[in-house]
Amino acid sequence: MDMDCKEIFWLDELSKEYNDMVGKKCANLGELVKIGLRVPYGFALSVKAYETFMEETGLKEKVSQIVEKEINAGLDVDKEIGRMIEMSANIREAIEAADMPPGLAGHITEYYAELQKKTGIPDVPCAVRSSGAVSMPGQMETYLNVRGTSEIIRNVKKVWASAFTTRAIVFRIQNKMAISWAPIGIAVIMMIEAKSAGVILTVLPSAGDLDRAIVEGNFGLGESVVSGEITPDSFIIHKNDMCIESRSVAEKTKMVAYADCGTGVQDIPENLKNTACLDDSEILEIVRIAKDVEKHFGAPQDMEWVVDQRFSFPENIFWVQARGAKYTKKEAKKDEEYVIDLMLQLFRK
Amino acid sequence: MKIYDCVPGLEFDEVADFEISPAWFQDATHSVPPWTPMFGWFWVNFCRHGMQYGAEKLSLPTVKGWDWRFKDGGGYLALLIVQDPNERKAREERFRVAIKPFLEDFTGMWKGFVNEIVGKYDKLKALNLETATNIELLENFEETINTCRRMWEIHMYMMYGVYTAFVLFEQMTKQLLGFDDSSPQFHKLMSGFDNKCFQVDKGLFDLAKLADSMGLKDMFLSTEAANMKTALLQSPKGKEFLKTFDDFMEKEAGWRLERMAEINVPTWLEEPSPAFAVIKMALEKGMSYNLDEDRKKLEAERIATEKEILAKIAPEQRGWFQTIMKLAQDSSWFSEEHNHYLDLYAHALVRRSVMGVGARFAKEGAIDTRDDILFLIPDEVRRAGINPGMFNLRPLVERRKADWKQWCAQPPVPAFMKEGFTFEDAMGGLVGSMDPIALKVVVGSMPVARPELKADLFGVCGSPGTVEGTVKVVWTEAELSKIVKGDIMVAPTTSPSWTPVFSILGGVIVDRGASLSHAAIVGREYGIPVVMNTFQGTTVLKDGMRIRLDANMGAIYILDK
Repeated sequence: MDMDCKEIFWLDELSKEYNDMVGKKCANLGELVKIGLRVPYGFALSVKAYETFMEETGLKEKVSQIVEKEINAGLDVDKEIGRMIEMSANIREAIEAADMPPGLAGHITEYYAELQKKTGIPDVPCAVRSSGAVSMPGQMETYLNVRGTSEIIRNVKKVWASAFTTRAIVFRIQNKMAISWAPIGIAVIMMIEAKSAGVILTVLPSAGDLDRAIVEGNFGLGESVVSGEITPDSFIIHKNDMCIESRSVAEKTKMVAYADCGTGVQDIPENLKNTACLDDSEILEIVRIAKDVEKHFGAPQDMEWVVDQRFSFPENIFWVQARGAKYTKKEAKKDEEYVIDLMLQLFRK
Repeated sequence: MKIYDCVPGLEFDEVADFEISPAWFQDATHSVPPWTPMFGWFWVNFCRHGMQYGAEKLSLPTVKGWDWRFKDGGGYLALLIVQDPNERKAREERFRVAIKPFLEDFTGMWKGFVNEIVGKYDKLKALNLETATNIELLENFEETINTCRRMWEIHMYMMYGVYTAFVLFEQMTKQLLGFDDSSPQFHKLMSGFDNKCFQVDKGLFDLAKLADSMGLKDMFLSTEAANMKTALLQSPKGKEFLKTFDDFMEKEAGWRLERMAEINVPTWLEEPSPAFAVIKMALEKGMSYNLDEDRKKLEAERIATEKEILAKIAPEQRGWFQTIMKLAQDSSWFSEEHNHYLDLYAHALVRRSVMGVGARFAKEGAIDTRDDILFLIPDEVRRAGINPGMFNLRPLVERRKADWKQWCAQPPVPAFMKEGFTFEDAMGGLVGSMDPIALKVVVGSMPVARPELKADLFGVCGSPGTVEGTVKVVWTEAELSKIVKGDIMVAPTTSPSWTPVFSILGGVIVDRGASLSHAAIVGREYGIPVVMNTFQGTTVLKDGMRIRLDANMGAIYILDK
């Protein structure tokens, strides 16, 4: 690829082609910005940033030594889970404890300062999320509501450390990969003041129904919906007619909100418990935009949206995630069979 | 009187035939003016056979083809509709399997059929009709009958299959994209395809160029088409040109008749003056074959339109949509190309064989002149085939010739209808059959009058565009010569042998037509506006009138009122 691989990028510099450098999540967000979606301001740390960090801190060498030492001492990766967990903890601790190399720290400081300017918010609270370039165990970490340069840097290291979960180490040993290799990017994105948040799938996943979309949401941040811990509000929309065919407003008792450090679970006020977390115009706007994205990517989408209470409709809808939806494909009839069905319908008129 | 029947078993009978159908429509496209008995016999028997063969091979769920009758030189038709729902269901199951080859490889199927039928034509041509024995002549005649029947089987099987796709595609564009086959966008999707008929036209234009380069232009301009051959034979250059010309006639252009559905006029091979007339016209009017250039443009436009349309189709629907679009597009070029390999070619060979027999019958005394054979039917050819000298067929010829002259003098009867049955009822029956040929070739869309446009005449868009020009009403090929560049041709319908003139036309208006009829297909390929189904264009519009044609709106404005 004829692209300059920097250690750090603004989201609007990115697109699908940057997948290998900054991971799918960041590349997708860049793509969302490109196709005109409202995405919170933020920047991405590339795989190169991770590599620089591992090299310059000497961690690359150190991690390999820790693992080799254990294996030489007769560690059976399959059986001795306790020792594996301990080893994983040691590595992660080493990563989190290491100092960010000054060059990289300078970059992050610079970008975070610019982000504060862009948003007009001092110590703008951010989400620090992992963004893997390929599917690997681990790399699942997301840290919310991170404020201040040093906290950003600390959480970036935590995400990198998450590449060394027990499962991830076992995976690399079994697949004979370099132990420190992890194609991991990181997204640092301004947090939204969420009235409500949730997901939309432009397909009904279990039925494989491509004509309908489902929107699920709760008050507060999206984590309560994504984690599946609560029963969210749920709306089914016919994508062509744009009519809301079914709505189930759940009794919502808890929501996730900012805490002093990270996020915490809060009670939903009594008067909101049985109220829909979105109004109809917001639902339809979310579907309309998701349909555009589906068309752009040429496949059904699984997207995360947030409604920011600081803004008014429709500028209040932000997007933080878009990926191909996983769904049960209907027994795919061959095009030919389908055409024959259509021809027969014609004769039945 | 049975002895004078032209198509025994299929003569129209008011009592018995109204039991089968309350309405019988005249095939005005093909049987006006009235057919001679010999040709009527071939058409009514085998077009009928082909339609029923095609509908049965495909197991069309709603229709078993058409029934045909012969009456006063006209072909009359009624649809054989499947009424029983259980039978429809059973036919649907068979249709599922039968339609598959069309979806898999339509072009391949067509190539196979072309090879098969051209092989049969070559066999027929191999016999020297002048030196053949009576038995050989009769055998050739019987083989011609079989070939003509086979031609119609291929014709209708292919046409039913591919037009079904066309009708479906139109439905789909209506449902998914909001336009039908009268919209310019639809026509763009159907344009930019070559076909054999155009290649033949191109050959004629190339001959004009050759004549010009050989210094024969002046001779062409100063000589009547009918005397061209004699004139060419006078000079060495002319003889040289004639050699190329004859070769092209024999191999490509000669096997066509001015009237596609009749054999009482010579083929271009026998009488090449229509071909000379085209070359003369090309030289006179500076016509050139710009179709290849135009086609590139049309093709690019088509591809752009395809892209634009596919973007509006949900990604998961694109696969089948493209399958059906492809086959619908195939039906557009097939609709034109089949004329060359099937109707025109086969009928030219029917004429060849019939005239061979006619010449022999005249020589041995069964009839007076060769062309009297047109007033006999195959049973009578068989009666006298081996020993023509033993039979006097003159009384039959005289009686039928007198009848035929009378048919030609009387106005055509557009339909026979049972008492109390209206034209609208009957049209409803055609549409209800879902017969794709009835829908897209015979009936077409009805024009919608738009009073707000204040136009003088309305029709249906067959090819998009707008143009202003002078009206030339054309009934026969001979009248084509009055057309000058930019004229708007007004005709009842157009015939494949008229195609070359499209290159100088500004636009076309036809009384009847549908999106797969000749004028529409050729108009699209030449990129000129065509309006169809005006019903009264040839009566309202007169030679010399200035008009504006807005094909997109199906509207015609008379400018010099």
